[in-house]
Amino acid sequence: MKVSVRIRRQASRESKPEYQTYSVECSEGNTILDVLNKIQWEQDGSLAYRRNCRNAICGSCSMRVNGRAVLTCQNLVGEELEHQSELLIQPMGNLPVIKDLVVDMTKFWDNLKKIDPYVSTASRKIPEREFLQLPEQREKLQSAANCILCGACYSECNSAAVNDDFVGPHALAKAYRVMADNRDDRTQERMEQYNQPGGVWDCTRCFNCNEVCPVGVQPLDRIAQIKQEILQQEKIEDSTALRHRRTMVELVKEDGWIDESKFGLKVVTNSGRDLKGVASLIPLGTRMMLKGKMPWPWKFKPSEGKAEIKTLINVVSQHLKDQGKLWP
Amino acid sequence: MALKYAYYPGCVAKGACKELHDSTTGIARALGIELVELEKASCCGSGTFKETDEFLEDTVNARNIALAEELGLTMMTQCSTCQGVIGRVNDKLKYGEQSQRNHVNQYLEGHHYQGTTEVKHLLWILVQDYGLEALKQKVQKSLAGLKCGAFYGCYLLRGQTITRYEDPYHPHSMEDVFGALGATAIEYEGRTQCCGWPLASYATNASFSMAGRHLLSAIEAGADCIVTPCPLCHLNLDSRQPEVEKVIGRKLGIPILHLPQLIGLALGLEPKQLGLERHIVSTSSVLKQLFK
Repeated sequence: MKVSVRIRRQASRESKPEYQTYSVECSEGNTILDVLNKIQWEQDGSLAYRRNCRNAICGSCSMRVNGRAVLTCQNLVGEELEHQSELLIQPMGNLPVIKDLVVDMTKFWDNLKKIDPYVSTASRKIPEREFLQLPEQREKLQSAANCILCGACYSECNSAAVNDDFVGPHALAKAYRVMADNRDDRTQERMEQYNQPGGVWDCTRCFNCNEVCPVGVQPLDRIAQIKQEILQQEKIEDSTALRHRRTMVELVKEDGWIDESKFGLKVVTNSGRDLKGVASLIPLGTRMMLKGKMPWPWKFKPSEGKAEIKTLINVVSQHLKDQGKLWP
Repeated sequence: MALKYAYYPGCVAKGACKELHDSTTGIARALGIELVELEKASCCGSGTFKETDEFLEDTVNARNIALAEELGLTMMTQCSTCQGVIGRVNDKLKYGEQSQRNHVNQYLEGHHYQGTTEVKHLLWILVQDYGLEALKQKVQKSLAGLKCGAFYGCYLLRGQTITRYEDPYHPHSMEDVFGALGATAIEYEGRTQCCGWPLASYATNASFSMAGRHLLSAIEAGADCIVTPCPLCHLNLDSRQPEVEKVIGRKLGIPILHLPQLIGLALGLEPKQLGLERHIVSTSSVLKQLFK
């Protein structure tokens, strides 16, 4: 079959990108990487892209295909053309282009280093016997340990696109991997670090990382696990993000539905203690009032099932406490 | 057969976006869809319950779903986030191990989650159950000439992985509805991305930059308005648009409509009945264009 392949070309970091279309003879069972190889080897040797193992192991060949990042050695032409009439191939997002489909991954690696991606030094001291880990201890970190650092999640991350300080889903998946490792002895410090701006609370839960991860790391789920650990800490530094989660549970337990006015006051203004928070709500509140959008507390109607919900949340929290978890 | 659903209103449609509740019930009446409101339901947690503990998210939402099951009805949501959260719990429990259902049921006093119903967004109900052709037949006022950009919401597209309605990167249900109403669909880069709402209470710069990027891309693609099936997206794109403008240093002024408001206009409902005056960014440009 003849397939039309539209590729974003860029001669250098500074050049203006342009699109070039190739017509390639291939089969449905070919990978996207096969198609790129055919173009480079048979039609245009100037096309630049990364490749290596061809087996979804090395993580080199991530690119955007038809709008989202994939490992080009893993995705097949037939599958891609199910909903599209041509293949659109672009470099990964959120990273600067060096040439054509090759991106500069410096920021990606720097962000990974920021979370200290190694099992802590103390536990790396050579023991008398080998390090032992029970299968269930290993199981806890298995999905995060699958990461091949291909960059697909970072490419599609909505937070990374607007927040230079956010370390990214790849780094936080790795953060969970080391945090969940029973040999690591820096769990507390790690939690404090990941609780800071640039860490877990800067994730916007867009699900793109889970969606594009080619090896089932599911970074968003790993980020949620770190958040769970942080929320269980009594002594960890309080923040609006933490109050947001705690207040959600508290208000639902009280009324079933969220009373938005109470939510805003408790979370954003820290019950009136955060004056900057108070100031930030004034313009929003004023304009909502003028448009009749203000969720006044006297207009709020709790759920008719609020007593049941309270009981349910109480028994669930007791169950979690019985398991040794601290309820936030 | 008349369509009938267990209506899950959610928190925002009963508070800051009351116009969503009013327009949803308004179009349901006009289309002959019966809604039985789940008065005893509770907030789904908007994705944050899972961050406290997944079992909390599962039990609270298993209870919500059980309320619909007791009525023998499919649950209808009109919020992308509620849909993604409750739909995901339903997927997990319905298609997962029996032991998971048993575990959850131990905690549901007076209710029993069975896994016998579906959780469906209003958008999917209109396309799948009601049908676009039937919707077209009900159009009293064609929206011809109005250029609408869809803003789907992350949870609607990517929240569920087992029962998935459409391709999360190439969805077309919203655009199909626009077509049925006579409006023109504008495709732009940000339509499947995040509005920034989850960060709006504490990482405001990131949140508003995110919203700004997408609003700008819709404007540049020629949209007259944005239409969303999610009240949380609506809050960040409409109520916070003045802050978004400040962060990105650009004037925007693009009206953001809830999906049932757009449908309501085509069904001939009054703008006031649809709450179109309750928006922060005036919707008058849309009305002027339709009623000029």
